[in-house]
Amino acid sequence: MRPELINWKVIFIFLLIVTFALFFFFPFYFMVSSSFKHPLDSSVYPPIIFNFEPTLKNYTTIFKKYPMATYFINSFIVASFATLISMVLAIPASYGMERLISKNRERVAYMFLTMQLIPPISMVFALFWYANFFGILGTYWLLVIGYTLWNVPYAIWLTRGFFTTIPKELEEAAFVDGASRIWVLRKIIIPLTKPGIIAATIFIFIGAWNEFTLAMFLTDSHTRTFPTTLGLFVTHTGILWGAMFATATIGVLPIVVIALLIRKHFVSALTLGAVKG
Amino acid sequence: MLNTNFLNKKKGGLAPFFAKREYLFYIGPAFIVTFVLMFLPLFQIIVGSMHKWEFGKPLFDSEFVGLRNYIELNYGYVSFGKSLLKTSIYGFGSLAIELCLGLLIAILLTNMRRTRGIFSAIFIIPIVIMPAMVGLTWKMYLSYDGLVNWVLSIFHIPKMNWMGTDLALVSLILVDVWQWTPFFVLILFAGLQTLPKDPIDAIRVDGANDLQTFFYVKLPLLLPLIIIVCILRIMEIIRNFDVVFAIYQGGPGSSTETLPIAVWRMFMSQRQVGMGSAFSFILILLSFFIAFIFINFLKRTRVTH
Repeated sequence: MRPELINWKVIFIFLLIVTFALFFFFPFYFMVSSSFKHPLDSSVYPPIIFNFEPTLKNYTTIFKKYPMATYFINSFIVASFATLISMVLAIPASYGMERLISKNRERVAYMFLTMQLIPPISMVFALFWYANFFGILGTYWLLVIGYTLWNVPYAIWLTRGFFTTIPKELEEAAFVDGASRIWVLRKIIIPLTKPGIIAATIFIFIGAWNEFTLAMFLTDSHTRTFPTTLGLFVTHTGILWGAMFATATIGVLPIVVIALLIRKHFVSALTLGAVKG
Repeated sequence: MLNTNFLNKKKGGLAPFFAKREYLFYIGPAFIVTFVLMFLPLFQIIVGSMHKWEFGKPLFDSEFVGLRNYIELNYGYVSFGKSLLKTSIYGFGSLAIELCLGLLIAILLTNMRRTRGIFSAIFIIPIVIMPAMVGLTWKMYLSYDGLVNWVLSIFHIPKMNWMGTDLALVSLILVDVWQWTPFFVLILFAGLQTLPKDPIDAIRVDGANDLQTFFYVKLPLLLPLIIIVCILRIMEIIRNFDVVFAIYQGGPGSSTETLPIAVWRMFMSQRQVGMGSAFSFILILLSFFIAFIFINFLKRTRVTH
């Protein structure tokens, strides 16, 4: 074995993977850095990559000219409520499914999964019709209900696996002592599966935060959420790229940070628990 | 053991019914929320699709046309077949590139030791960025004086009109590759880490090189996972409305008119609620069909594990 030959191979592989990583990272970097450029500098040719003077001009523009803070709070309210309700409904359901149903467990699980896989765009106009009928068009509740519909099955699938890993003997010991099943779920099962449940909650939140299709058609100007603000920057004189990049950065950066914190759970969440990360 | 069934029968009422079906108490709420609230719109879609129903008209004033909407499946310039073709090109094009690229990067990543964490962190970013913003930022990168043309000019490739009719679908695939190749990388990397060691060692002892080990042992072992990832992606592609909408809104013309965009156009620009409902229902059936394949596949792999 010649050591220098091995070295070259390692360096080649490293350079190749750095190139790929650059391809995936650079658009993100450009988005974040452009939000700190002068509004006129964000769409010049050739693009400015490093040598620019950072300013907060774009950020002041979007908060002064547009009610961006309101949209941010709207997004937060809707996403939090939808996540909370979905988890409160889904945790007992997936626990009950794993422990109390034996014969038709998989069938019930797949029924939920099938519901989750319905494309939102095909339902959104019917939902609009019903919302109009019940007079809840343009309220937070409509969007919360919409997100809950798709997130309850998803949350069931994310949390299913956690309950099977806990030995049944643990529960049975508590039952012998006279505990009820709900007490066992609250005081024993949930604390034991906490890290997974927190990761699943964050996943649902990210999904609800990023959701566009339902938010686009079921909100009005008061309940508009963050992802649907993109239309605001398309004006008669062209697209305000600086303001758009600033908005994107505000919406994306917190999510990226949170996502990196729970990256261990990523693979199993992306595959609905089919793969253990 | 004593048979106590007769005691329950005597008591009557609902209490024994629920005592025997304790799961209803746990699954019931989630079940009711999901299914009742999903079936109401579904019912409306099915009924609506059998009427010649236009915007602004109540459903009960519309003409009942039976299955005619399903037989025609087009109105004005929006047609289902055309957009199904567009979706297939977009879907299979991006799927093929993402799979090859994802597999390659995942294999390269297994060779890394200390830098593995940094790279997998980078690969998470495109997945969690909001799709609407992905669409809009890439709309700028793909413009004539944008980032993509600038990168090409470094390699002395002439500027191209990515937003034109010819290349719009290609640039859609490019954006999808950027956003979702990391998905393949992360999952296939996790899969490569958990492969059983014995068969790999066995073929190594027989004198196979890296390439042979990969194609004869690792790839067949990885195949179930690859199929799962591909089905998940296809499911995402047929419901991908936000990115396509944010970049081109289905345009220029109808060159990026994928199925979700066709549904939207049928409702919003053609104003045909009945025909739009028919489109929606077929899209739902399509997703059920893919879900059916996915579930059967999951069942098979679960059993063999």
